[in-house]
Amino acid sequence: MSPFLSVLSSVVGWVAVMLAVASVAVIGPARLRETWSGLRDRLWDARRAVVLVCVVLLASAVGRPALLNVSRLFGLQATAFIYGLEGGFVAWIQATFASPALTAYFSRVYVYGYAFLVAFPAIAYLALPRTADLRRLLVAYALNYGIGLVLYTLVFAHGPRNVMPDMVTPLLFTNQPDVILLASEVNENSNVFPSLHTSLSVTVGTFAVLTREEYPRWTAVAVLLSLSVVIATMYLGIHWLTDVVAGFALAFGCVALAYRLVEPRDAAAEPGDARDRRRSGSEPAAED
Amino acid sequence: MTRPISRRAALAGLGLAAASAGCLGRTENIAGRDPHSQLTLEINTTPADADPNGIRIARQLEEHLTAVGIDVRLNTVGQTDLWRKVLINQNFDIYVGQFVETEPFDSDALYGLTHSQFVAESGWQNPFGLTEIAVDDLLERQRRAAGSDRSDAVDALQETVCDLQPFSVVAFPDALTAVQRDRFEGWTADRQPVSVTGLLGLSRVPGADASGDGRSDGGNATADGDNTTSSATATDADADGEGGVTLRLVTTDNRITENWNPIAAEYRKYGTFTGLLYDTLVRTDGESTVPWLAADWERVDETTVDVSLRDARWHDGEPVTASDVAFTYRFLRDTSLGSVETSVPTPRFRGRSSLVEDERVLDDATVRLTVPDVNETVVARALRVPILPEHVWSERTDAATIAGFEFDFETTEAVVTNNPDPVGSGPLRFVEATAGESVVFERNPDHFLVRSASGDDTETADETTDPRAGIPPRYHGKPAFDRLRVEVSPSDISAVEAVAGGIADATVSNLGPESVPRIGRSDDTRLVSGRSAAFYHVGYNVRRSPLSNPRFRAVVARLIDKSAIVEDTFDGYAQAAASPLAASPDAVPASLAWNDGTDPVHPFFDDEGSLDVEAARAALRDIGYRFDSEGRLLSRGQ
Repeated sequence: MSPFLSVLSSVVGWVAVMLAVASVAVIGPARLRETWSGLRDRLWDARRAVVLVCVVLLASAVGRPALLNVSRLFGLQATAFIYGLEGGFVAWIQATFASPALTAYFSRVYVYGYAFLVAFPAIAYLALPRTADLRRLLVAYALNYGIGLVLYTLVFAHGPRNVMPDMVTPLLFTNQPDVILLASEVNENSNVFPSLHTSLSVTVGTFAVLTREEYPRWTAVAVLLSLSVVIATMYLGIHWLTDVVAGFALAFGCVALAYRLVEPRDAAAEPGDARDRRRSGSEPAAED
Repeated sequence: MTRPISRRAALAGLGLAAASAGCLGRTENIAGRDPHSQLTLEINTTPADADPNGIRIARQLEEHLTAVGIDVRLNTVGQTDLWRKVLINQNFDIYVGQFVETEPFDSDALYGLTHSQFVAESGWQNPFGLTEIAVDDLLERQRRAAGSDRSDAVDALQETVCDLQPFSVVAFPDALTAVQRDRFEGWTADRQPVSVTGLLGLSRVPGADASGDGRSDGGNATADGDNTTSSATATDADADGEGGVTLRLVTTDNRITENWNPIAAEYRKYGTFTGLLYDTLVRTDGESTVPWLAADWERVDETTVDVSLRDARWHDGEPVTASDVAFTYRFLRDTSLGSVETSVPTPRFRGRSSLVEDERVLDDATVRLTVPDVNETVVARALRVPILPEHVWSERTDAATIAGFEFDFETTEAVVTNNPDPVGSGPLRFVEATAGESVVFERNPDHFLVRSASGDDTETADETTDPRAGIPPRYHGKPAFDRLRVEVSPSDISAVEAVAGGIADATVSNLGPESVPRIGRSDDTRLVSGRSAAFYHVGYNVRRSPLSNPRFRAVVARLIDKSAIVEDTFDGYAQAAASPLAASPDAVPASLAWNDGTDPVHPFFDDEGSLDVEAARAALRDIGYRFDSEGRLLSRGQ
């Protein structure tokens, strides 16, 4: 098996395990069973959001090489500006905090934790009887990707590890060199502004806070994990502080926009909706 | 750029107010003066992923320039974009990069690099924009003179160029390559290992596992059969597929997967792979020049060289003729062949091709070149250009267009084409490529290096009819691989990991201090290093103030701590130098020799290992520059 496939299957495998564990611990077996039976209806209900995410992801995958060329030729060359703005902040983070244990933690968080963080809410919100949160989440994802892609095209910049290699170690790649193959497959080194790792994580974290009544356990995990991802992007030398700040702005903007765009549709979604709503989040739902 | 204007606009507003108060004259006198502002310089280089060394040199320079009060913008761009910016558009202040020749080169290389006759052209010809009569004169002298006269001229040339510093030589890197132990041997240890001659000189490790090695010619008749061993090759179907033995290289430079144009300056680094696609008339092999596509060449008189060609064919089957050679020189001088108003010379090989003034086809296999009255060394250099097929490139002489629109009449199709399906005559031919990922070449079975195999040799013992006459025996029957696959890797670390993991045989692109130690961690991998002549340098745009001032450039040169760069950036795998000819044997005069860790001409402002800021500022004050109260270097009219 090629190194790329082996690292990919390792990520997929671990994330699947984490998803399974979290599904049982956070959502609960009873609700999962209920979800299974109502799956088709709920997906149908959220179809437009699902299609939107798929379209954006597909457009991103297909259009990215061409957009990268546009960015190289006509994009705003921002590396010098960002570097001039914040200087050696990321180098300072590494110099101050770097330790083997933290490097191991943040490397795993950046790859495995992030994939889990982004994937789990889709399952968790699918398990809710009303699809409003699921639709909001998916719309927010699509907005993150879509706007992120536009900004990638407009702004051409390299990250700290590429600009200050004497001070910023590419910790992720020196410790898990296989991961670089995966990272380069899904990301170009000149796409650093904004940090999509940050914006998607913060999006998930924000949703977790907003839905804390449904999934209080998830809220704690998600906030911790998303902040870890945010720090990891800088700790590992991949993103500038500027990218992270922009990532936060993008995340909050996308969540706010998703709430405006997606109507809760209280009555329309499911007949049993109002009843389910009254139950507390983790309590098992009896009927199918 | 915008700041002074907006300030002037503000002053204009003030002026209006003042005019009503009746003191227009004095206000006008003040408002009419452009205020001084801090000097801003932009340093351009490639990111660490593309080249781990250049960015580190740029970083040191950035720190030191900032310390003396200059506002520095450190800009990283892709490799194509860097050369497009520097070589084609000449829109830069300072860049950090590498020279294009890896083999020790003759002083005539400086002709293309610094002669003022190329000042209006795009490409590797005088990218700095230097216009110095003294340099031009010495460049002409070293072309004409021979023997000790020439040595004197070359010495004087180096001293003058060093004084003027259109570029600062930083260091000659050791070309580091991670290679698999058990696949190929003969990696050049004293030169760049991955070069045209370096790759052609490789041979299979005897008894190496050759899984799927269907056709074993020559020496390694026992190689095939051992199909079951080696997880390394067995796991990778590409390693030695149906096509026979594959040499698998990894690089961080994806340009060779997109563009195979030997004259496209922004897409070529050293031109190694295009050098394998396109033959030159002669090649340098170590310190000697050997006939290559030329069977022989003869200096008939001072201004005439007759070149006779070997029997060769283009990759598409057409014969290589004298008229292709004549076409090539005509074409390199003017890629439009006269079809647009001004000539559009090639952005590469310009110094060499400028030597040939006229060419005449004597017969199918002989061409007569007219050269100025220059020495033998320089003539041999003129014969080292890639020979292009007339039937392909004569179609590319029109002005380049996008959707029918001409953008710049000084750009021909030839310099912008990606040259898909390149047709050369070299020992390798193009098979396929996936842009940004990989490219595959295969051995050209028709090439003269492989032509007279086995039985034929005895019959054609006659020297003159041997198709390989004059070619060193170590290249006979080469390359030692049937396919050459170049895979793009995201960084030097993953390139080394690919070799250590057995999925590649060698790395091509530069390795940095993070990746070199990894080579030792795998038993199957070793480090090969050879000295490269492709020196790292800091190039200045001499067209722009204050870089137009040689005294200012000399101070900038003294801000570069070359010894520290060699130690920290290159981990000792480089040699600091003052002269661009430092890798060429016996070329550097004593006055420019690097000794005792200091630069003989522009020593670093050293204060026990760090920059002596005060000394640097004093040097700038001495040559007329001024600082404001916050220590910022002032300039006007930027």
